[in-house]
Amino acid sequence: MSVRHRKTATLMLVALLLLSVVLGCAKQENIPASTSTDGAANEKSITLSWPRDIGTMNPHVYNPSQLFAQSMVYEPLVSYKQGGKLEPALAESWTISKDGKTYTFKLRKGVKFSDGTLFNAAIVKKNFDAIMKNEKTHSWLGIVGVLDKTEAVDDSTFRMTLKEPYYPVLQDLSVVRPFRFLGEAGFPDDGDTSKGIKKPVGTGPWMLDEYKQDEYATFKRNPNYWGTAPKVDKITVKIIPDGETRVMAFEKGDLDLIYGEGVISLDAFKQLRDTNQYVTTLSEPVGTRSLLLNSSNPKLADLRVRLALQHGFNKQAMVEGVTSGLEEKADTVLSKNYPYTNVNLQPVGYDVEKSKVLLDEAGWKLPAGGTVREKDGQQLDFELIFDKTDPIQKAMAETIQAEWGELGVKVNLTGLELTVQVKRLRSNQFDLYFWYNYGAPYDPHSFINVIAKKSFGISETLSALPMKKDLDQQVHEALSSTDETKRQELYASILKTLQEQSAIVPISYIKKTAVYQKKITNFVFPANRDENPFGGLEIGK
Amino acid sequence: MISYIGKRMVAVIPIVLFATLVTFALIHISPVDPAEAYLTAAHIYPTPEILEQKRHEFGLDQPLLTQYMHTLQRISQLDFGTSYLTNKPVWDEVKVRLPATFELAVSSMVLSILVSIPLGVLAAMRKNGWIDMLSRGISYFGASIPQFWLGYLLIFFFSVRLDWLPVEGRGTWQHLVLPTLTLSLVLIALYTRLLRSSVLEQLQETYVQYARTRGLRERVIMLKHVLKIAIAPLITSMGMNLGKLLTGTIIVEQVFSWPGFGRYFVEAIFNRDIPVIQCYVFLAACLFIVCNLLVDLVHLYMDPRISSKGRAER
Repeated sequence: MSVRHRKTATLMLVALLLLSVVLGCAKQENIPASTSTDGAANEKSITLSWPRDIGTMNPHVYNPSQLFAQSMVYEPLVSYKQGGKLEPALAESWTISKDGKTYTFKLRKGVKFSDGTLFNAAIVKKNFDAIMKNEKTHSWLGIVGVLDKTEAVDDSTFRMTLKEPYYPVLQDLSVVRPFRFLGEAGFPDDGDTSKGIKKPVGTGPWMLDEYKQDEYATFKRNPNYWGTAPKVDKITVKIIPDGETRVMAFEKGDLDLIYGEGVISLDAFKQLRDTNQYVTTLSEPVGTRSLLLNSSNPKLADLRVRLALQHGFNKQAMVEGVTSGLEEKADTVLSKNYPYTNVNLQPVGYDVEKSKVLLDEAGWKLPAGGTVREKDGQQLDFELIFDKTDPIQKAMAETIQAEWGELGVKVNLTGLELTVQVKRLRSNQFDLYFWYNYGAPYDPHSFINVIAKKSFGISETLSALPMKKDLDQQVHEALSSTDETKRQELYASILKTLQEQSAIVPISYIKKTAVYQKKITNFVFPANRDENPFGGLEIGK
Repeated sequence: MISYIGKRMVAVIPIVLFATLVTFALIHISPVDPAEAYLTAAHIYPTPEILEQKRHEFGLDQPLLTQYMHTLQRISQLDFGTSYLTNKPVWDEVKVRLPATFELAVSSMVLSILVSIPLGVLAAMRKNGWIDMLSRGISYFGASIPQFWLGYLLIFFFSVRLDWLPVEGRGTWQHLVLPTLTLSLVLIALYTRLLRSSVLEQLQETYVQYARTRGLRERVIMLKHVLKIAIAPLITSMGMNLGKLLTGTIIVEQVFSWPGFGRYFVEAIFNRDIPVIQCYVFLAACLFIVCNLLVDLVHLYMDPRISSKGRAER
């Protein structure tokens, strides 16, 4: 072969190789049909998207498992419903001893896991043991710190004893992780679920059917489900990390439902709403966007300054302007849809004149010809740190900077990476900080817990309040009290103090958004922030 | 030639070592403690005890030098450790995702070659003609439009409006079309202009005039003589771009929900999943080096004068 021909042959070979790689890669199995109600057996199915892969479907671990998916397969003993009502789930009933330390659960009879095995006290105990084996991982949850021992009294009776009374035990048991139940077949040989499970076997209405990491997951109905069976046969979750792509897939009809917090931009939500072709809804408040005014900063230690700052910006206009009305102006730190929070509190309204008077009284005066107030040669300036990837925080920070600037308060903005921002909060290195509470079923007890407990950053923020010690005492009493009326009184007092002290400034109530095709009916946001809304969904004609 | 390749292979080692060292240093300079980032991402409150436990688990409580030596030792056995996030071996996770990224990179490379070679040559042959104007238009567009935006535009027209192609995902050849177009447009823009100017340059050479006086047809001159030489800078550029393509599919993977390596890496950055980041940087460094080497070898093959040894072998 001549040199020239050899070269040509080599080049052709390379080209062929490349082509075969492309064709080889392209020849793959089809992903499940994305359209909803077609399919051989007239299967009723709903396709939605999620930004991240559903994860390992292990009920006892956290990231990267997604809460909504865990809640489809695994169930709690007690379920959290609207307004904080606790309803029987896997536990049919429960009794609490007088001293508030012993909880005895009567388990629902006839419950089976998706593989047909029986749910009983022994498996409950086994799950509790697996969870408590990694106690430190779960120590953020109050019950973990007070749990002393667990026993399977008989087949359908499970008892737990606490070291000290702690009233939100049932609320803690209703959260999506870690206290949910894996079937025997899912346990690894050594029983330590923190390293992984064999397969996701739960008692919930759904079971994982097909799964392709980073691409999709399908769930079908659990034939052994004890409760009311879901109306649809199949839920397909497509993993689409990009919000804009998600919206386009929805517009094309590939998706039936988009729901969650911040899963699409506010602009996209408005645009979809304005077409009138789809149904768009907003949930009840799921959390509060607040601004922390760090009282351990001497300038902010003065109540008059804190009040002046809260009076000094138009919350209503800012929330409407920045979130286009998709969030709601907040007058109190906790919205009223939690237990114990329906308390009458006096809102701190928008009042620029009052603000100026308060600052003058506090000794911060505008120097002649100056724009920033001063006292003892010091300027009234603060640093506001925010998550630079969050467009809403950024816009709000700029608005606040402008409005307080008019009062003679200088605000320096610092955009940070979220992890750095959180680190600054916990080490108490900030003046002003955007903060969110945890939502249901964690609040209000988690909220008051961080008020008193150090190292979350919130207790430190409040450290210069004159009644801080009292506040901590009230929190401790509220959490351990077994008297419902007394607890309500304590909550009312705590919330009143916080409202008057203005160190946690409520800005807006965050809501979940949902957009769905008109054929879907009966969509209801779950009361538990982390649960899924698929149980009652129906597909109309 | 073999000793040349051997020498080049040996030279790879210090470069890779340097890359691992830089990554290691950058990760440790960063203000965020990986153990803390891990816990934050997992929505676990970092109490001092659990922080300490995690730091111990990840080996972060060891002296820096020990940590680095451990990393090197493991990498040398292609063991990149366990992902902080998923608890699974990083290499297993990467292996699953590499084919998807590779598929996208290769198809984009093939498409860009198929389009830009004829377009570049024709643009040079018909200088200032309509095809030249067209190539200029494409180049201008391709070089200036941001990739994610182009991706959205393509999805909007071809998927949402015309309903010809899927919006996102992977599986069939239809899924490959839009991401490939998105990725290759910028390459087409680059290659076309590169080839055009290189062909134009060659056309000024005396050997072309000589060939013309010999009465050779223009097509023959172009294909047998000019293109062979003019294509050299294109090969260099392609070699560099293959590495870039494989590591640069991140945005396109994000927009088209392509389950590749790039997306995995983005998530790892957000979660400070250090084993994954280290693996990515290591692989990227190796890729660039291999691509570089390939380019040199192709050049050597096409023009043996580059290596006197190679000339002797011929």
